[in-house]
Amino acid sequence: MYTLGIDIGSSSSKAVILKDGAELISSAVVQVGTGTSGPTRVMEAVFENIDLKPEDIDYTVATGYGRFSVENADKQISEISCHAKGIFYLVPTARTIIDIGGQDAKAIALNDKGNITQFYMNDKCAAGTGRFLDVMSRVLEIPLDKMGEAHFKAKEWASVSSTCTVFAESEVISQLSKGLTRESIVAGVHKSVATKACSLVRRCGDIKNDVVMCGGVAQNPGAVDAIEKELGQKITVAPNPQITGALGAALLAYEELLAK
Amino acid sequence: MRTVEEIIAELKAIADDPKKAMEDYKKETGKGAVGIMPVYCPEEIVHASGYLPMGMWGAQKKAISKARTYLPPFACSVMQSVMELQLEGVYDNLEAVIFSVPCDTLKCMSQKWHGKAPVITFTHPQNRKIAKDAANVFAREEFKLVKEKLEDILDVRISNRAIKNSIAIYNENRAVCREFSDVAAEYAAVIKPSDRHAVLKARWFMEKSKHTALVKELIAAITATPAPEYKGKKVVVSGILVEPYDVLDIFAENGLAIVADDLAQETRNFRQDVPEDDDPLMALAKAWNEFDGCSLATDANKPKGQMLIDAVNKYGADAVIVCMMKFCDPEEFDYPILIQEFEAAGVRNLQIEIDQESTAFEQVKTRIQTFAEIL
Repeated sequence: MYTLGIDIGSSSSKAVILKDGAELISSAVVQVGTGTSGPTRVMEAVFENIDLKPEDIDYTVATGYGRFSVENADKQISEISCHAKGIFYLVPTARTIIDIGGQDAKAIALNDKGNITQFYMNDKCAAGTGRFLDVMSRVLEIPLDKMGEAHFKAKEWASVSSTCTVFAESEVISQLSKGLTRESIVAGVHKSVATKACSLVRRCGDIKNDVVMCGGVAQNPGAVDAIEKELGQKITVAPNPQITGALGAALLAYEELLAK
Repeated sequence: MRTVEEIIAELKAIADDPKKAMEDYKKETGKGAVGIMPVYCPEEIVHASGYLPMGMWGAQKKAISKARTYLPPFACSVMQSVMELQLEGVYDNLEAVIFSVPCDTLKCMSQKWHGKAPVITFTHPQNRKIAKDAANVFAREEFKLVKEKLEDILDVRISNRAIKNSIAIYNENRAVCREFSDVAAEYAAVIKPSDRHAVLKARWFMEKSKHTALVKELIAAITATPAPEYKGKKVVVSGILVEPYDVLDIFAENGLAIVADDLAQETRNFRQDVPEDDDPLMALAKAWNEFDGCSLATDANKPKGQMLIDAVNKYGADAVIVCMMKFCDPEEFDYPILIQEFEAAGVRNLQIEIDQESTAFEQVKTRIQTFAEIL
């Protein structure tokens, strides 16, 4: 049996195909999200180099910000449930998840069965999310994928507000005009993301190990470093952290099939 | 006999168009309306004058522009939209507006009124639990001032007898609202969260005996058939209000029924009756003294959490959803206490943010859907 998990986020689209809820047949990521060509393109990409067609899929679960706009999905499940499922499958020792995507930051607490015991997510504010890093990348003229590199070159970390993306942008411009190095500002930006994410983690109660990070921001080693320093402990970055939601969706799709 | 849908449609039409409700009242009685700002105004005094007490709970999805001149961005959305509406002249047909001032924003709002109607402001004594007798005397005096100012503005005399009669009418309405809330819980498969809200919101814009009659008719229509089995989950909601309707629809889409509420716009107004007393103003004062479960009514013993836990147990609810009015300091200050009490009692809980101005609900949708998935 083949199941498809499709995760349409605010800034990227992800898809995973599983065979019998275990074997990864294909995965794809397109770096544009809901309301764009992303959902269509990711569907094309995930079927590109395999011998399956969309009609071969037995069950599809859609998740993410754009989950209700996915045509032909059998069910929509929230991204929090899907990330929890995907992460626990990949890292069975995971008890705390930090998921930072394009528009949302979430902290999820799991029990030893992988069930969600508590979760918190940001309100309607881009501070501490991938969108915040996008804005800062543009202001600092450092490509997103180079921000991790710049972070580790910083001799000191600048202070950047963690309360508002708009205010933080003017703060960064002000610091640039004062002559602070871009590297130190990048590190300050990552600290700002870490502060926001860790406040969500702490609201879940005592932090239980292992702490696993996923979502697009987990691909930024600078952000991961800042979160580790803020939490005062090591965290595990999920393998292929951008697709854990889609993987969880495909796993939940398989469970739905079995329950039929 | 009218159907459930027909009666709810009538109540929803009133809840959604207070202006028409006011005009209809004026046509019928020749008298206008007095605005009742949130929260906990002794409306019975207005009712006794023969004028219509009209709740002022802002507007759903109202774009805020002019209000920014007078309010900071961190004033709650109810006050933002009330300010916007008053600047647009929406309240100019009111005869007067009564303000209670139990939070900082209401204090400022009462002093920045830009509508044409005169403002009457009164203070709820917050020492009510530690100096009961003094608080009763103070509240009675405040309510007397409200009565006297209303008499001057409306050019009517409000007798003790009329207030007693209004208290009886209000108590009957409170009883029928409590009964409706219980019936809505029992018939969760029939009454959607948005229906429940519309029925209870309509009472803010209707002469209470008329609301009572309509809700009685509705209860009879609902209970005419046995309650169908409800297969979803049941929750208790707490906060100032739950709006816009979109938020309530998200509850329904995710199989969550509201079986009880602790909202300043709903149950907190009818959870208890006004006690009997020969002096009706003292009766209203005592009602404030005995009132519990709201962050705007000081009680150092903080009974709200236990009241919510009791409601969960009474109605067999699966969880509490705290609908936090964005920028409502008093409610936010009490929230950490609530969480600790919920955790200690093993009550599942979730917080969502309420912003009347909002037009996008993805975060709320994700939170509620996830919560429903893990309940």
